[in-house]
Amino acid sequence: MKLSRRQILALATAKLLPGAAAPPLFEEVPASVSGISWVHENAMSPEHYLPEALGPGVAFLDYDNDGWMDIYLVNSGPCDFYKPDKPLRNALYKNNRDGTFTDVTEKAGVSGGTFGMGVAVGDYDNDGWPDIFVTAYGKCILYRNNHDGTFTDVTKKVGLETPGWTTSAVWFDYDNDGRLDLFVCSFVDYGTSAHVSCGDNKLGKRYYCIPRFFKPTASFLYHNNGDGTFTAVEGGTDIARSLGKGLGVVATDINNDGNLDLFVANDTVQNFLYVNRGPDKAARPGSGKWKFEEMALPAEVAFGEQGQPRSGMGVDAADVFNSGYQDLFVANVDQEMFSLYRNQKDETFRDVAHANGIAQSTRLLSGWGLKFFDYDNDGSVDLILANGHPDDMIELYSPAVKYREPLLLFHQENGKLRDVSRDAGPAFYNSWPARGLAAGDFNNDGRLDVLIGNNGGPPLLLRNNAGAGNHWLGLKLEGVTCTRDAIGAKIRWSAGGVVRSRLKNSGGSYLSSHDPREILGAGNSPKIDWVEITWPKPSGKVQRLDHPPIDRYIAVRESA
Amino acid sequence: MPIFLLIRVLAAVLLLQSDPNEDILKHAIGLQQTGDTDGAIDAYRRYLAARPNSPLALSNLGAAYSRSGRYLDAIPQYKLALKLQPNPAVEMNLGLAYYKSGQTALAAATFERVHKAVPDQLQPTLLLADCWLAMGRNRNVTELLAPLADQRQDDLAIAYLFGTALVRDNQIARGQTIIDRILRNGDSAESRLLLGTAKLSAGEFPEALADLSKAVELNPKLPDVYTYYGQALVRTGDAAGATEAFRKALEANPNDYASNLQLAVLLKDEQKYDEARACLQRALVVRPGELRARYHLATIRLQEGSAEDARAELEAIVKEEPAFTEAHVALATIYYRLKRKPDGDRERAIVQKLNAAAQLKQQQGLNIK
Repeated sequence: MKLSRRQILALATAKLLPGAAAPPLFEEVPASVSGISWVHENAMSPEHYLPEALGPGVAFLDYDNDGWMDIYLVNSGPCDFYKPDKPLRNALYKNNRDGTFTDVTEKAGVSGGTFGMGVAVGDYDNDGWPDIFVTAYGKCILYRNNHDGTFTDVTKKVGLETPGWTTSAVWFDYDNDGRLDLFVCSFVDYGTSAHVSCGDNKLGKRYYCIPRFFKPTASFLYHNNGDGTFTAVEGGTDIARSLGKGLGVVATDINNDGNLDLFVANDTVQNFLYVNRGPDKAARPGSGKWKFEEMALPAEVAFGEQGQPRSGMGVDAADVFNSGYQDLFVANVDQEMFSLYRNQKDETFRDVAHANGIAQSTRLLSGWGLKFFDYDNDGSVDLILANGHPDDMIELYSPAVKYREPLLLFHQENGKLRDVSRDAGPAFYNSWPARGLAAGDFNNDGRLDVLIGNNGGPPLLLRNNAGAGNHWLGLKLEGVTCTRDAIGAKIRWSAGGVVRSRLKNSGGSYLSSHDPREILGAGNSPKIDWVEITWPKPSGKVQRLDHPPIDRYIAVRESA
Repeated sequence: MPIFLLIRVLAAVLLLQSDPNEDILKHAIGLQQTGDTDGAIDAYRRYLAARPNSPLALSNLGAAYSRSGRYLDAIPQYKLALKLQPNPAVEMNLGLAYYKSGQTALAAATFERVHKAVPDQLQPTLLLADCWLAMGRNRNVTELLAPLADQRQDDLAIAYLFGTALVRDNQIARGQTIIDRILRNGDSAESRLLLGTAKLSAGEFPEALADLSKAVELNPKLPDVYTYYGQALVRTGDAAGATEAFRKALEANPNDYASNLQLAVLLKDEQKYDEARACLQRALVVRPGELRARYHLATIRLQEGSAEDARAELEAIVKEEPAFTEAHVALATIYYRLKRKPDGDRERAIVQKLNAAAQLKQQQGLNIK
């Protein structure tokens, strides 16, 4: 009989401690323990308005700067097709530092009040306190952090009133001026008071219309003016020209030129890869115009292998195979399979999902939130996927496909990802209507935990028990000349004779925002020899830490 | 539909003389009778080199080609034979060759001629009805079969086609009566196949799957049953089950174009390129030049890194079918890989234009609440 790694661990533990069972790799923290009693209201109606099916987003953030990750959850709310019977609100939960959380939403003033979709957390004013941007079907909101446990809605004041239906958003500094700019995915043109309907299905019921039938839209890029306001970058850019149905976005650097690029997953139209070419040479000198070149098709990340656009939803980027270049990921709907795009180091990619068992595992799944992360701190990048079909009646049409779907966990071994979901714990045996996913270390044990937003249900908080015995170092980077969040910083570290690297990307997943700290896995090496940080432009400085401490978090400030 | 291969052996034997060429013909017929089709083809061709105007040899060569799935090679032989000597049986074989090679309109025209020549024969009538169904000429089918359906109420094949045509022609109540008649006669694989294919056409995939699953259970040897069952499995999300079904369909009929193509697509998804290539090559033997099969073959070459090999084929495909969006995507990819950016940009612009047109088309016709 062949035993899995997890089974061997369980047996070994049982031998050492008679009667004790090894905890699962990821263990559900129930609401009765965490205190997170908030439940997502998806506003499901007999009419089946599409926004009902797409939320919610979730976030880990340290809103009060106490060094412990708090949680933000996005809810639906009143809009042109939905008038809730009872007041609905987003939720901010303060971390009590003992595994429990307290709802501080009202005090903090971040309850929303719109039909919320996603959340992007970033320190746009470089004051050292995270701010919250909420996307929505309807009205987006920017909450500025007041440093006292409260926030102020500054959306209108700063110029971020964004029309239509927005989904994922990402904070990043595209022009390297040391200030976070904002990209906001726009989904479809869902009309105003008159909504497109695909009629009734054969059961005589309204159903969620496939996004293929809706008009595509252009996403939004906002430039941070440095005075607390933003200006929409309009006209003449590939971002303004490209009509898509954006659901997921990650800011990364695909060609290592120090400029942050954007990979956008679109639903039923091709994906977009906006490569940041720097100042637009065709524009008037000093105009501040920037050039993004949309090149998903030449880069081979636009379409599926059959040449057709797929239903792209969640995305991420990471140097999965330690090549020094960022690889990309996109999750799609059932039958389309998900793609893992390996960077060929020449601005092109090849889909290696099949060689890594991902295509086979995802044929019947629809993927949303996801994250490349080293869940066991062995130094290699792993992957978690949150899934669920958008159509609540899918099982009537496609019996093999389910509305609630299992989570998937992949572990990297010898340069390949392997599906270890069966060994990951009971949460992975169950099925969920999962959407947003955020990774964050809520108990500061150096292991990234996971928070998942379920459509029309309570969130799922998973405590990470993996990687016992492995060592780590957590970095909280603080930019000085670059953005305070140091998005785009490149980190290299050496442990046990192996040198690894990581780019501090921004965004990724779906509608969600991760713990901003970077945890460097050292495996069983008891020490990390050195860490080297290349700060993003404008400084681009390289800062080295020899023999840093181990198994703890440290703050690293960009040197003068 | 059963293959209707007529070898006019008796006539041949009577006609044979002691001429050495006639020995070749006699030998060819013998080989054909014992199942050595390749040997028979070779012998007929040798005979025809000496006696090119032999209707018998021509039609028998056509039958041999058909037997080995080379319908496109069979067709000119039958046509030549018919030109020399009109014969409803040979015309029937010609119709079958068109039918099996997917040239439905030509098959229909041929079966129609046979039907007019021998109106009492059931097989050409039913095949004509089947072709018209495939062409969407449902009303023609109902008119063709209505008298027969009245006269032969116990004939399940007639009821099967007639019922399908009525349902597709939106004569639901009448169609249901016929289907009920079939079902009253007992559950049969044929009736389930009828119901399943009708439901597949109507987009009722889980319901089609249930009927086709039952058809497979009742008679797994029923022609085409696994092909449609596989299609229903694809439509309901069971790719692994569909792969198995198409394999079974091909065990029964290696020249089933639809099963070859659809199995190849599934295998390509699994990156089993060698097996997918074999299916596509078989599909192209049955239907030479078929664009979809050629596209998949070309993209396999692309996936395997032979961009230059794939390029020429894809250029030919988009020339033949300028609106084949996926082929333009593959061609753009190839040009970019070959560092031919202007060509890649041109193809990319075509892709964007075609996709925008498709998007516009999809937006049309929707209700506004």
